Amino acid sequence: MPLVVLLALTEGAAIVCGATFDKLFEGLTRGIAFFGHMFPPRWDAFPEMIEPTFTSFVIAFLGTFFGAILSIIFALLASRNLANPVVRSIARFLIGLERSVPEIVILILLVAAFGLGAMPGVVALALGCIGMLGKLLADIIEEIDPLVIDSIESVGGNKLQVIIFGVLPQIIPNIISYTLFRFEINIRLSVLLGAVGAGGIGYELDYSFGMLQYDRAFTAMIIIIAMVFGTEQLSYYLRRKIKMEGALK
Amino acid sequence: MIEVKNLTKSLPGGRKLLDGISFKVKKGEFVGILGPSGAGKTLTLRCLNGLLKPDSGSVIIRDDSGGQLDICQINKRELRRVRQKIGVIFQGYHLVKRLSVLENVMIGRLGQINAWRSLFYGFTDAEAEEAVKALQKVKMAEFADTRTGSLSGGEMQRVAVARAIFQSPAILLADEPISNLDPSNAKTIMKMIEPLSELMPVVGVFHQPEMTAKYCTRVIAIKEGKVIYDGDPKLSNKRLEEIYGEELELIEQQEHLLAVVAK
Repeated sequence: MPLVVLLALTEGAAIVCGATFDKLFEGLTRGIAFFGHMFPPRWDAFPEMIEPTFTSFVIAFLGTFFGAILSIIFALLASRNLANPVVRSIARFLIGLERSVPEIVILILLVAAFGLGAMPGVVALALGCIGMLGKLLADIIEEIDPLVIDSIESVGGNKLQVIIFGVLPQIIPNIISYTLFRFEINIRLSVLLGAVGAGGIGYELDYSFGMLQYDRAFTAMIIIIAMVFGTEQLSYYLRRKIKMEGALK
Repeated sequence: MIEVKNLTKSLPGGRKLLDGISFKVKKGEFVGILGPSGAGKTLTLRCLNGLLKPDSGSVIIRDDSGGQLDICQINKRELRRVRQKIGVIFQGYHLVKRLSVLENVMIGRLGQINAWRSLFYGFTDAEAEEAVKALQKVKMAEFADTRTGSLSGGEMQRVAVARAIFQSPAILLADEPISNLDPSNAKTIMKMIEPLSELMPVVGVFHQPEMTAKYCTRVIAIKEGKVIYDGDPKLSNKRLEEIYGEELELIEQQEHLLAVVAK
């Protein structure tokens, strides 16, 4: 019975979306022809793509850097053991709210406000970090050794000193590890945002497709894959190194 | 001097955890608080530096110039200021394991430095030198740059003692400072705490009557939230039975076992 219901729902959804097997085969045939236009990639376009690639990398780097700072601030405000209940509730609400808004929506709003360019991309990625990094770090702060906080307060230390000497040293490995992971995500997002107005290699890809220069677009795709793969490998290596040195303990 | 007057603390259900605790400790005294588990020893100690607010009663601190204040009646800002002069050695060391030994010692004076200075770990060279001297007193100077997390329990507690020395407090509190240590390390720590009582009143919570008999100048016994004994640290078996009840056998067994392990 459940299988019949599932099949009926699937069929219903396909009819509503206009998804049919005919269309799938038609698309596949067209897709294969389209891939034919992409080969061979235009290697002579490579030099002109170096700068946009660098732009995407910088957008992701700055977005992650400022995003990590914002996330740490939000995480401190959102943790039960440091913030008062009202501040904590507001910070948790804002973190949750940010998580429900995709970066691309933030970018569209920012482009409407500030115009096209790298700056809205950096801001969109920075704000986009808060939802994920802010929550992860807040949860980690809530699990730190409470006795350390007691001991700093017992010598007359204030909240700022508790954070600097008691909290941050305990969570720095996590900050580095999660920020590197977020950087990987932001590299991919910077390409996506580039296509929507932030510039960089994403824009080059979108532009090439728009101009029907599929071989040039393929060159951009190869660069993007190399950039994403390289960043992931570097991030994985660094995170593994942190873990192996026992820094996460 | 520190004077505790009629401290009371109850659970929401009405069960009394502290029931009129009163005592005085002056410079030159090393007072050991004994009592069975759940008697209210640690609660009393936490009231002494404001980590716990009692339902009623007062904790009065008097300085040499005659000034006095009640910890239970002051606001947060004043409490922070007073805590600069109250050193605490905790059972679980309470050190930041990812910081170096020297940094942990310098945390002792955190309350005495400007918040903005601490933003940049702003201790001066003179302060760092003083912190090293405190480490020398507990024979840990060669570990100054070591990451604290890599030390043994006994070494960590020595660092905690150095932190208290560096803080140069007017009162020293020790919450079960030797509970996690083997007999040899426990003796070392007691030997390090004992002379500090010449400079300031020292109050400690202990579970080892033989240690308080040897190193303390006075013992206060707490049972069911009340002071049931206040006097000579050398306690008779009858007195110990009165304090610990059935727990005494367990304590004696534990002490015997530790002595065997130490041999």
